[in-house]
Amino acid sequence: MEGQPPPTPARSVESYLGAIEALVKQLARTGGFELGVTMRKAATPGEEIETPEFVVDFSGPDADLLLEKNASLLNALEYVVLKAVRLEEDLFGKITFDCNDWRCLRAEELKLMAQVAAERVVETGDSFALSPMSPRERRIIHLALRDQAGVRTVSEGAGSERKVVIHPASPPARKR
Amino acid sequence: MKELIEAIAKALVDNPDQVQVRPVEGEQVTVLELRVHPSDLGKVIGKQGRTARSIRTILGAAGMKLKRRFTLEILE
Repeated sequence: MEGQPPPTPARSVESYLGAIEALVKQLARTGGFELGVTMRKAATPGEEIETPEFVVDFSGPDADLLLEKNASLLNALEYVVLKAVRLEEDLFGKITFDCNDWRCLRAEELKLMAQVAAERVVETGDSFALSPMSPRERRIIHLALRDQAGVRTVSEGAGSERKVVIHPASPPARKR
Repeated sequence: MKELIEAIAKALVDNPDQVQVRPVEGEQVTVLELRVHPSDLGKVIGKQGRTARSIRTILGAAGMKLKRRFTLEILE
């Protein structure tokens, strides 16, 4: 396609919404997905962990398909669409794809998981590796344990295998 | 399904007119061969293959609805 628009500095996140909605609808149609999409402002801006400004909210008969395997289809659509509209990657967190409040429920689940794992690390003095997660999910774990006494968290591994490892805060006291 | 991959690829690349998708029908599986302008390969593959992985996830889910397996091959 000729005549690429010149790069406009500091585009607002809002200015991407039209292109996102059009592409999402095109992909739902060509992929045969029975999904409706609603673009809305995030309900709770300034919530402690995730601070999206806009939500691309899906509903419909294929919602279950979207959320299977830890929402792999939802996450794949989000990544491809945000890439395609040329949103700068450090702004990806500003627009989130969601369905049936999955993001919120998943964050609660992750925080609980972090808590249980941290307690185990404190009890045993052994490090504990969580399963591989996306940057967004790892961030939720790091923040959930930021003020937890007795543990520290580190991301280890590369690419899709990157995971959070919870270590004891200080070398474990030797039991005798 | 060809239309889906074309739509995704054209949205990702800088040269949408150079996007070609060719379906190769097998017995169990349909392979979709994707060709893009050489300078756009990185756009459809992504950092550590993340974009390609996402496209395959979308393709797999769409295939589930049709009860048929589809795989994506990105040709260089």
